[in-house]
Amino acid sequence: MNFEDLQKTWQAQDASSKITLNADLLLREVRRNQQCFLATIFRRDVVEVTTCLLLAVLFTVWGLRWHWWSLELLAGCCLFVGGFFVVDRRCQRQRQPACTDTLEACLASSLQQVNHQIWLLKNIFWWYLLPLLIGLSAVVVNLLWTQHKAGQDAATLFSLGATYIIVYSVVFGVVYWANQYAVRKQLTPRQQELADLLASLQ
Amino acid sequence: MECMIATEQEAIFRRWLGDHLGLMLKVVRGCAATPPDQEDLFQEVSLAVWSSIPSFRGEARETTWIYRVAFNTALTWQRGERRRRVRHETFLKFEMPSPPAAGPAEPPPGQEIVERLYTAIRQLPKVDASLALMHLDGLSYREMAEVAGISENYIGVKLNRIRQQLAEQLKGAKHEL
Repeated sequence: MNFEDLQKTWQAQDASSKITLNADLLLREVRRNQQCFLATIFRRDVVEVTTCLLLAVLFTVWGLRWHWWSLELLAGCCLFVGGFFVVDRRCQRQRQPACTDTLEACLASSLQQVNHQIWLLKNIFWWYLLPLLIGLSAVVVNLLWTQHKAGQDAATLFSLGATYIIVYSVVFGVVYWANQYAVRKQLTPRQQELADLLASLQ
Repeated sequence: MECMIATEQEAIFRRWLGDHLGLMLKVVRGCAATPPDQEDLFQEVSLAVWSSIPSFRGEARETTWIYRVAFNTALTWQRGERRRRVRHETFLKFEMPSPPAAGPAEPPPGQEIVERLYTAIRQLPKVDASLALMHLDGLSYREMAEVAGISENYIGVKLNRIRQQLAEQLKGAKHEL
């Protein structure tokens, strides 16, 4: 059998005869899934930004009430993280891969998206952990200073400081490790797969 | 076109399903092996086709457009990734060829070859599989270049290699490509 015969046999197959399709149900599912997808994206953005905003407002109010400059600083750090989320999402949304692009363009933008995600998680310390570290450390220093001025003994102050350092190191260490794990186990293989696919087109 | 009303979008989607269902299924079967994966990918492709309708301006042929959308979805689809979808009911049933009840019944003519071809195509790298599917469907080099975004010359080079690979895979069936 030569290729032309093979082509004829292939084209003669009625692929749709092997399936039973409920078009109404499919349409309903497609619509619901699209709404669900958009709602999930919207919900995720709202939750992230609202959390940052609420924390910023809360810390600002507490800072003003108790005259703690460190709480104002922490509020600023929360705003920075929230602002970073918003700006990053907006920038990335404009570069989303479109399924109507050519295969090469779609693969290139998918790869760019994964590269960005890897960059984001690899640098999580700088845009997420460090701002919170600065804000929280300022609050702890402020708290220790206030306690010191109130006559609290050095041993208690030391144990408070040490507890803060341990808790911060454990919690943020776990966050950092989980993100680097996701980069290694999920994103890097995906990046390699997309790079290979793109290379096979070039 | 971007603010296309839902009923118009639905009408186009239904027409495309009627006219190009076979094409969508070939892409799905060429890229996913098991019925659950095929059903999963089919829904992804359907969702992508639905979302692409408002951007369709009729500049490309419908077939080329749907190929592009379907392949882009299939190439970036990850097996087992179901983060976007929640399914309540099954809208698609794949009927697998059932084994003969008694005696060595012959499969319908061509069916065995087609099944072997699907298996061979799934062994190819994903991009090559997409070109093989379009080639078998008789698309011209120009149309394939339009879908893939690469030159016609390169398509020719790749197809020569793909034919050889398919011939290797189908060696048992003694096909000469």
